[in-house]
Amino acid sequence: MKHRPGSQARWVPVEAESFYHLASVRLVDQPCQGTACFVARHRAPDWAGVEASSPRLYCVGCCYAAPATAACQVQPRVEVATSTPVVLERIASGVPATLAAYTAQRGYEAFEQAIAMDPARIVTEVERSGLRGRGGAGFATGRKWRTVRSQPGAGKYVVCNADEGDPGAYIDRIILERDPHCVLEGMMIAARAVGATRGYVYVRKEYPDAATSIRRAVDEARAQGILGAHDRGQNQSFDIEVVDGQGSYVCGEETALLNALEGHRPEVRARPPYPAERGLWACPTLVNNVETLANIAWIVRHGGDRYATLGHGTSRGTKVVSLNSLFHRPGLYEVEFGMSMREIVEELGGGLETGAVRGMLIGGPLAGILPPHLFDTRFGFDELHQVGAAVGHGGIVAFDEHTSILELAHHVFRFGAAESCGKCTPCRIGAPRIADFFAAALAGQPAGTGGEAEWRETVDTLAATSLCGHGSGLAEFAHSVLTYYPEQLSSCFA
Amino acid sequence: MLRVVVDGRELSVPPGLSILQAAAGQGIEIPTLCADARLAPSGACRLCVVDVEGEARPVAACTTPIRDGMVIETHSPTLEAHRRSLLRMLARPYPRDVVSRAPDEPFHRLLLAYGLADEPTGSAEPGKVDDPHPTIRVDLGRCISCWRCVRICDEVQGQFTWRVAGRGPTTRLMPDSVTTLAESSCVACGACVDTCPTGALEDRSVLAVGAPTRWTRTTCPYCGVGCELLVGTHDGRIAAVTPALDAPVNRGHLCVKGRAGHGFVAAPDRVTTPLVRERGSWTSVSWDSVINFVAGRLQDILERHGPGAVGVLGSARATNEDNYVLQKLARTVLGTNNVDCCARVCHAPSAVGLKHLFGTGAATSSFEDIEAARTILVWGTNTTENHPVVGARIKQAALRGTHLVVVDPRRIELAQYADVFLQPRPGTNVLLLNAMAYTVLDEGLLDEVFVATRVDGREEFQAFIQPFAPEAVSAACGVNAESIREAARLYATAKPAISFHGLGLTEHHQGTEGVMALANLALLTGNLGRPGAGVNPLRGQNNVQGAAHMGCEPAHLPGYAPLSDARTRVSAVWGSEIPEQPGLDAMEMLDAAEAGELKALWVVGWDLLLTQPNAQATRQALANLDVLVVQDLFLNETAREFGSVFLPAASAFEKDGTFMNSERRIQRVRKTLEAPGDAKPDWEIVARVAQALGRDDLFAYPDAEAIWEEIRRVWAPGAGITYERLEAPGGLQWPCPDTQHPGTRILHEQSFPGIGPVATLERVDPQPAVEVPSVEFPFVLVTGRGLYQFNAGTMTRRAATGEFHPGDRLAISERDAQRLDFAEAQPIRVRSRYGQALLPVEITDRVPAGIVFATFSDPRVSINQVTGTHRDPYTHTPEYKVTAVNLEAT
Repeated sequence: MKHRPGSQARWVPVEAESFYHLASVRLVDQPCQGTACFVARHRAPDWAGVEASSPRLYCVGCCYAAPATAACQVQPRVEVATSTPVVLERIASGVPATLAAYTAQRGYEAFEQAIAMDPARIVTEVERSGLRGRGGAGFATGRKWRTVRSQPGAGKYVVCNADEGDPGAYIDRIILERDPHCVLEGMMIAARAVGATRGYVYVRKEYPDAATSIRRAVDEARAQGILGAHDRGQNQSFDIEVVDGQGSYVCGEETALLNALEGHRPEVRARPPYPAERGLWACPTLVNNVETLANIAWIVRHGGDRYATLGHGTSRGTKVVSLNSLFHRPGLYEVEFGMSMREIVEELGGGLETGAVRGMLIGGPLAGILPPHLFDTRFGFDELHQVGAAVGHGGIVAFDEHTSILELAHHVFRFGAAESCGKCTPCRIGAPRIADFFAAALAGQPAGTGGEAEWRETVDTLAATSLCGHGSGLAEFAHSVLTYYPEQLSSCFA
Repeated sequence: MLRVVVDGRELSVPPGLSILQAAAGQGIEIPTLCADARLAPSGACRLCVVDVEGEARPVAACTTPIRDGMVIETHSPTLEAHRRSLLRMLARPYPRDVVSRAPDEPFHRLLLAYGLADEPTGSAEPGKVDDPHPTIRVDLGRCISCWRCVRICDEVQGQFTWRVAGRGPTTRLMPDSVTTLAESSCVACGACVDTCPTGALEDRSVLAVGAPTRWTRTTCPYCGVGCELLVGTHDGRIAAVTPALDAPVNRGHLCVKGRAGHGFVAAPDRVTTPLVRERGSWTSVSWDSVINFVAGRLQDILERHGPGAVGVLGSARATNEDNYVLQKLARTVLGTNNVDCCARVCHAPSAVGLKHLFGTGAATSSFEDIEAARTILVWGTNTTENHPVVGARIKQAALRGTHLVVVDPRRIELAQYADVFLQPRPGTNVLLLNAMAYTVLDEGLLDEVFVATRVDGREEFQAFIQPFAPEAVSAACGVNAESIREAARLYATAKPAISFHGLGLTEHHQGTEGVMALANLALLTGNLGRPGAGVNPLRGQNNVQGAAHMGCEPAHLPGYAPLSDARTRVSAVWGSEIPEQPGLDAMEMLDAAEAGELKALWVVGWDLLLTQPNAQATRQALANLDVLVVQDLFLNETAREFGSVFLPAASAFEKDGTFMNSERRIQRVRKTLEAPGDAKPDWEIVARVAQALGRDDLFAYPDAEAIWEEIRRVWAPGAGITYERLEAPGGLQWPCPDTQHPGTRILHEQSFPGIGPVATLERVDPQPAVEVPSVEFPFVLVTGRGLYQFNAGTMTRRAATGEFHPGDRLAISERDAQRLDFAEAQPIRVRSRYGQALLPVEITDRVPAGIVFATFSDPRVSINQVTGTHRDPYTHTPEYKVTAVNLEAT
């Protein structure tokens, strides 16, 4: 594209600054208000002060040390809990994040292999692996690659979504900080497979160390001639730019992220067309999240079939989960799909320090709560979906008796309403409306004039009509409250 | 065709549609608030969600393409409940009393339909009203965040004025000024008002006059783009003007002049009775008396001085029918070919130049070709201001990636969208065009096939063009050679390439040859006779193409048929003799008046005194006349100073007829209002004078359509155009020789009329400048018009547009202003070899150092006191674009 649409427009700083709440903020030691910090607020000396603080910092990815601040320097426990580690082995065994250390561990061998392969074959391997996107939606990665590959035209992009905004998840953060080359290698293989010449890594502002790490890795790779305008005998060069977010949860949504990269207001775009057909600057664009890309080199080296032997049902391979600070053993664990949630909670996490688990949020607040009686559910896309929950990002936030369902619901909707992009009606108006219901209930006041009927109508409409997963995810959360904690909910309308 | 089931009905629909479009095509209306056919779908309001079998959640009908085999449910009780819920969300904070006051707004209609009229409980918030804009009232209290205003401003006008700030519940609309719309980059096109579904954005005219009760479709009375309008009236006054959505020219868009420039029809100084000047002062008289008076005076002069002493000037703002009748009167009743129109002072060089090379003196293609082109060459036209709707289309094309080459001494708005922007010294067009032609030949970029089959004179041209290497002319043009080459390369290789030119090419002493040099370029590169190509003059006024084409031309009869060829044929149809000798053109008439040879002049809708160059000469000429009949809406400067008789004419909103736009398109003008007082359509006034002179037989027209029927008989390429056929959107483009003919979008696909399949390259030698800056007159003055100001300002000064244009200003570069120590708005005397004028300066980065620019609409300034005497030798078109001047503070 010669011109980007809107590029002729007069620059109005208010537009971006009023959308991104961290645009002009320097992160120092601001308190985090993420969900893991919220459920651990009884450990915070002044939680009311934290909630009143501005700018609101919503998850700095230190959920293992919650309540945390932007100054948190504690490193999480990182363990491999599978016989066949794919993602965490290097990090768990303390391999440094340098290019030299990475190549010493056979790093970039997969890329060399990929160069020798027919690009179509790479796509086939990824398809055969059964890998599904680790960023939340669980879309078949190989299918997405095939779609991008099949698009005509030369201008294609690979975008690494490193805007891991789901509170409770710090998986991508740790991968980027401690094993960045494996993400780059995944992107390079992806670019080779789909025919892209340029890549972007969009890192959220709340992860400054991750941004520094991936930038350093890009510089190293470029200096070594692995990245950049070099013809590696494939008539295709590939370079990567790292872009910093400015504070917006919704930018983790891929179309909003693309708008952010283009310098537009990061509203969600209607689909179709999907980014794979018409993405960045209207070109076919492969958007994958960090952990998804971190699986790619392994798949190329070991073959898709080998990867597919791991896992359970339609959820193949391994997945990294992150446990919050209320667990006895918080941290990152790489597990095979198919494990029960109870095993994760009790055997890996060692249960909660403060007593019984009242419920769990998996994969962020845009999915249902998993109540204790369903802890035997297997960890898998379909299995969790069937009980109204989701794999999501893999962030697990368990909460205890310190947190009532109403408090949690209010917290989630307050967050959800503030992070809505504002484009579609149900999310812009409906989400704050539901947050108001919960706020009123917590304050012991009647929840608006419409009562329960209006609450249900609003939730149903949000679920059915919101433009993207932000609204429908919030509605799923509300539905799970209705399903699993009906008595607490009805107290709102009493 | 795709087969789908919608609400249980099996339908077959063409591919490429959204569910919303497909359903609408079958008469199934799905509610929506954020959709507008002019815009890409956005899926924001979510009202249009429908169920599609196999989909887990409802999908938005506006953004979901139809697929074969889809089973769609559009109005299930659940969907309707969601719609009601969404509407309720939007309605709750909405001001309480608005729905009943304006039940027709789309949002209000939906609230009523869903039984939610009482749902709004908000109250008006004065703090959300943004009042200072002259034509648009903003009340953000009524904004429901559909963002149609934002999108239409981006996607149609390309102005990017409306922005969205905040997110989530604090998401809000704002102008790019962040303060008021009046202070923003808004160009008042009104597209946002047009699409707003609530009235949060409203036309001030509606607030002033009342909601329209009757709508009439007609054609815009301003520029040569020819936008189709819907005029809404209330109690006999224009309350609103909106674009026709199905008009091929404007596609649901308008500019500020079209939308807000209508106030002149009801201006307090509109003249509504005939006037005769007696002993220096005007007296109202009856039509009978004024007609007898005019007839008598003309008769007297004819008898005493012969027909050569009488001249008639038609109007580019009058209809084809008006102009046709006027020239017929000149030729048959007055017995003279002394008839002309203001094409003389604008695009006569285009007509002559294009006719000379291509056989037809009109645009060779159409606005539709903007979207088909890969490269657009814009030469000497400030399109976004003077043909704003076409300008917006070009801008959108450029935003989509179409190559754009802009050539203009001023840094016009389109320059910022251009791949190549050439800023030549005024008066060097031919040199620059020849250098581009040189590049095409030098770099082997010519279209060999086209040149071999359709072009003659290549070898001679090749030899002729040798001195014009870009490197050789670069210094003289003030443009670097590589940029010239780059422009030529784009035009020659990123094909098809289309050109649009304006008065920046024609209003020069070498205007006609400039057009020929541009036409050469099209021939060399094969950018002719196919979609996305062509050479297109952007005609200045709504019917300037038509006025000349109808025969207001001293050497041409209707159809731009040369007098010598067509005289016998046309006189047979008329049943009257036509004089053999070509008449005087407008410039020659004034010369003859000055010399005492022309005694009577009848001028329709043309303020000569304000718009002719070298106003001193114009003044002497007009003063010398025995009789000056002025026919207009207002006592213009010409009438005020020199008129002996004033005939009050009906405006274009008050009569029937047709206009012909820049792309040869005939469109209907329909009567929307009663003419005020005694004002009458031009043709009727003319016919009455003819009758008074004893030729009722030739002028017995019951209505405008009867005139058109006669035009069809004398103009073969228009014979297929009937009023009945003109009911279709966009009317018809000539040639349209028979009633089955679909009209012609692109000329010269196979051959050149009257020439054959092969056109000949014209070797155009650049002439030395005739108006040369000197030590005494170091600046070059360029005159033209602007966005809010149309020509003499007769109309725009008397409408809301006038509020945007405080009067003529002298645009000057910052460098020159600094050097001369001029402050913004300081009054400056501009002096030339011909005269002087006084006007405030406007310091701008639009003009380069050494050049100053002014509009010519302000009688207090009368910038044409300063412009000079030079004329194009072929057409006598004045060189308005180059006058050497000096500037001094007063």
